Amino acid sequence: MTEAIQTQGLTKDYGSGRGIFALDLTVNEGEVFGFLGPNGAGKTTTIRLLMGMIHPTSGSGRIFGLDVDADAVTVKRRVGYCPGELPQWGGWRGAEVVAYVAGLRGDVTDDEVGRIAERLDLDLARKYREYSHGNKQKLALVLAFMARPKLVILDEPTSGLDPLHQQAFYGLVRDARSGGATVFLSSHVLSEVEHVCDRIAIVRDGKLVTVSTLDQLAGIRAYRIEIDFADGVPAERLRAVPGFELISSNGQRATGMLRGNFEPLMAAVAGHRITGLVSREPSLEEVFLTYYSDSAAPTVGQR
Amino acid sequence: MTLVRLALRFQRTGVIAMSALGAIGVIVNALGFAQIVGDSPADRAAFAAQMELLGKQLSYLLPVPSRLDTLAGYLEWRWFGSVGLLFSFWALVSATGAGRGDEERGFVETWLASSVGRLRYVAARVAGFALAAALALAALAIATWIGAQLAKEAIAVGPLVLESVSLFGLALASYAIALFIAQLVTTRRGALGVGGVVLLALYFVDAAARVSDPSLLTRLSPFWYQEQNRPLLGEGLDPAATLAMFAFALVFIVLAAVAFERRDLGSPLVRGRTSSGQRITRPARNPLWRLPVLAPIWQQRVWIAGWAAGLAVVAYFIVSLTKTIVDSMASGPPLMRLYLERAGLSGYSAFVGVIWFSILILLLSLYTVAQVAGWSADDAEGRLATILSAPVPRARVVLERIAALLLGCALVVAVSSVAAYFAATGQAIDLDVPGFALASALILTVVFALGAAGHLLAAWRPRVAVIAISAIAVWSYFLQQLAPLFGWPDVVKNASLYALYGTPMSEVNWAGITTLVGIGIVGTVSSLWAMQTRDVGA
Repeated sequence: MTEAIQTQGLTKDYGSGRGIFALDLTVNEGEVFGFLGPNGAGKTTTIRLLMGMIHPTSGSGRIFGLDVDADAVTVKRRVGYCPGELPQWGGWRGAEVVAYVAGLRGDVTDDEVGRIAERLDLDLARKYREYSHGNKQKLALVLAFMARPKLVILDEPTSGLDPLHQQAFYGLVRDARSGGATVFLSSHVLSEVEHVCDRIAIVRDGKLVTVSTLDQLAGIRAYRIEIDFADGVPAERLRAVPGFELISSNGQRATGMLRGNFEPLMAAVAGHRITGLVSREPSLEEVFLTYYSDSAAPTVGQR
Repeated sequence: MTLVRLALRFQRTGVIAMSALGAIGVIVNALGFAQIVGDSPADRAAFAAQMELLGKQLSYLLPVPSRLDTLAGYLEWRWFGSVGLLFSFWALVSATGAGRGDEERGFVETWLASSVGRLRYVAARVAGFALAAALALAALAIATWIGAQLAKEAIAVGPLVLESVSLFGLALASYAIALFIAQLVTTRRGALGVGGVVLLALYFVDAAARVSDPSLLTRLSPFWYQEQNRPLLGEGLDPAATLAMFAFALVFIVLAAVAFERRDLGSPLVRGRTSSGQRITRPARNPLWRLPVLAPIWQQRVWIAGWAAGLAVVAYFIVSLTKTIVDSMASGPPLMRLYLERAGLSGYSAFVGVIWFSILILLLSLYTVAQVAGWSADDAEGRLATILSAPVPRARVVLERIAALLLGCALVVAVSSVAAYFAATGQAIDLDVPGFALASALILTVVFALGAAGHLLAAWRPRVAVIAISAIAVWSYFLQQLAPLFGWPDVVKNASLYALYGTPMSEVNWAGITTLVGIGIVGTVSSLWAMQTRDVGA
C-alpha cells in the first residue's frame, strides 16, 4: 500500500506552545482518515501545512511522494481542498465562484460540478452573500470535489450542514473512496468520523496522541454506569473497585465510569439490594473527551 | 457610553492619521510661508500678488485667495482650503465602515444581538466619529498655533477655534451623507464608490461656483457652505452657512438612521430580486471568469466602469474650464502672462497637460490604494487560500494582480482621455493629441511603481499595506508641492513618484519614467519573493 500523505517531524511553531509539533503521520492511499482534536489542537495548522499555505518551521510533509512545500503546485493538481474558515466572496454568484476556481484549476467538467451541486442541493445562481452558512459550506465542498481529485483534504467539512446534507456529504466521501481517492478530514465531531473513517488520529496541544482504527479506539472505551441502591450507596466499596471511577453519589444513585472488566464491580455490589442498573456504551464523543481531560472527571464531593 | 467608546476606538487610526497629516501639512506650510514671504511690507505685497495669480489659476481646486501677505490668509487658502476635502474623505471611509464594513465583518450583528437598538447604534457611531473629528481638529488647531510660533507670525486662538468648528461641520455633513449612502448599497466597496462620486461631485459643484455664479445646485454642497467661512481672515463664521452644514448633517443622519431601522442586515434599503428565480447547478458560462487577468477585471467591471465614468466627468469639467481660466489670466497684467509662460501654462493644450494630469495622477493613486486594500482583503478573507488551493504558482497571483491593475487603469485612463478630448474639441482647444496620448500612456508607469510597492507591502505585511501605500502617495504629493517652494535639490524632489512622472506634455522626463519602471520591476520581483516565502493568512 502506498502513502497518500506522509509527514516526518512536521512542525509549525507559532510560539507560546501554539502550532503543531513533530508530527509523524502516514495516510495510506484509498483510505478515509479522520484527524481529530479540540479547538486549538493544531488540526487546521497541519492541513494548511499540507496544502502549502504555510511553511513548516522544521520537518517535512509529502503527498504522493512530493514535498508539500517545494512541489506545492504539482501536489495541488491531485488535491481538492475545503478550508475550515470559509472565504468571503461578497457579491459573486456561486456559479461565478465555481467558474473562477475551475478556470484556475483547468481540470473541471461542468457535468461534475452539476452532479455535486445537485447532490448537495445547492443553487449556484444565488449571490454568495445571500447564502446561509450551510450553503457556503456546500459551495466549499463543490470546489473541493469538483476536479475528482486523488486526495481530498477537508477541514471540518460538515460545519453548518443539516443532517440531511451531512448524509449527502458522507455519500460524496464514500464515492470518492470507492473511486480510489484518499480523504483526509479533520473534525471535532466524532459521530462524523464514525460514519466514514477507516482510521483516526487524535491530536492535542499540537502533538499527536494516537493513531488507531475505529475498532482499536473502541477497545479503550469506558462504560457509563448508573446503579440505584435500595439502602444507600456503598461509596467506599465502589471506590475500591479497580477500573471504576465514581463520578457522583446522589442519595441512592451512584454514577461512574467503568474501564475494563465488569466482574469486580458486580462482586462489590453483590451484597446490596439493587433497584436499577443502567450500563451505557459511551459514544466516541465521550471516549474522545477522556483523551482531552487533563484530570479525571470530578469525583464525589467535588460537585 | 460603552458603545461610544467602542465606536471611538474604531477611529483610532483615523484620528492619528488625520492629526498627523493635518499637523505636518500646516506646520510645513507655515514654515514655507516664513521662508518665502520676505521681511519688508513690499516683499510681502509682491509675494501676495504673485501667489494670487497662482490662486486664481487653481480656483477650481482651492478657494479664491485673500490676504496672502499674512500667514493667516496664506494658511486659509493653501492648507485649510484643501484640508476640508481630506476630512471629507476620512468621513467617507469611516461612515462606510460603520454603515457597511462592520456589518460585513459581523460586528453589527453581534452588537444588535446584545440588546443594542439600531438607533442607538447609529447614534453611537456618529458620536464616535464626531469625537474623533473633534480630536483631530483640535490637534490641527494646536499644530497651526505651533506653526505660527515657529514662523514667528501671529494667529489668534479665537479664529482657529472657529475654523475648527467650520471644518467639523463639513466633516460631519460628509459623514452623514456617506452613512446614508451606505444604507442604499450592499457592500462597503459599493458605498465607497457611490459615496466618493457623490462627495466629489458636491466638491466640484462648489468649485464650479468659484468661476461662475452659484446655482441652486450649489446650495446642495456642504463644501460651498464651508467655504463661506473664512475665520482666519477675521471674518468670523457665516451663521447661515454654518447652520446649513449642521442641518445637512442632521437630516442625513436621521435619514440614515431611519433607513437602517427599516432595512434588513446585509441588504440595501431597496432590495432587488435575489436571483433570476431559475435554479442553476452549473458554473457560469461567461468565459471571462476562467481567463487569467481578465477574470479579476470582469469581476470588478462595475467598479472600473464607475471610476472611468467619474474620471470622465472630472476630465470634461476641467477641460471645459480651461479656456475661461487661461483667457482670464492671459488678459491680466504682464506679470501674469510671464507667470503662465514660466509655469508651462501659456497655451490651452499645455494647461490641460499640467492640470489634468496632476489631478489624474492623484485619482489613479487612490484607485491603486483601493486595489492594494483588495489584495490585503483577499488574504484576510480567505480568497487567496482558495486561489492557492488550485494548482496555481504564487508568482502567477502577483503578476496577474499587477497586470489587472494596469489593465484596469488603462481602461479608466482611456475613457477619461476620450472625455477630455471631446471636451477640448467642444471648446475649440487645439489639443496636442500625440503628446496627450503619450502622457496618458506614461501615467501607467506611476501606477506600476505604486502598485508594485503596494503589492510588496500587501505580501509582506498585509495589515499595514493600505496605510503604508497611502503614506507613500501622500508623501509623493507633498514632496512634489513643497520641493519647489523650499528650493530643495532634484534628488529630494525625485523622491516623489509624481515628480518622476513630471509634465510629459511639455517635456518627457525619460530618466524619471525609467526610474518609475525600475521601481515597478524591483517592487514586482520583491513581491514575488515575499509572496513565495510568506505564510498565507498570517
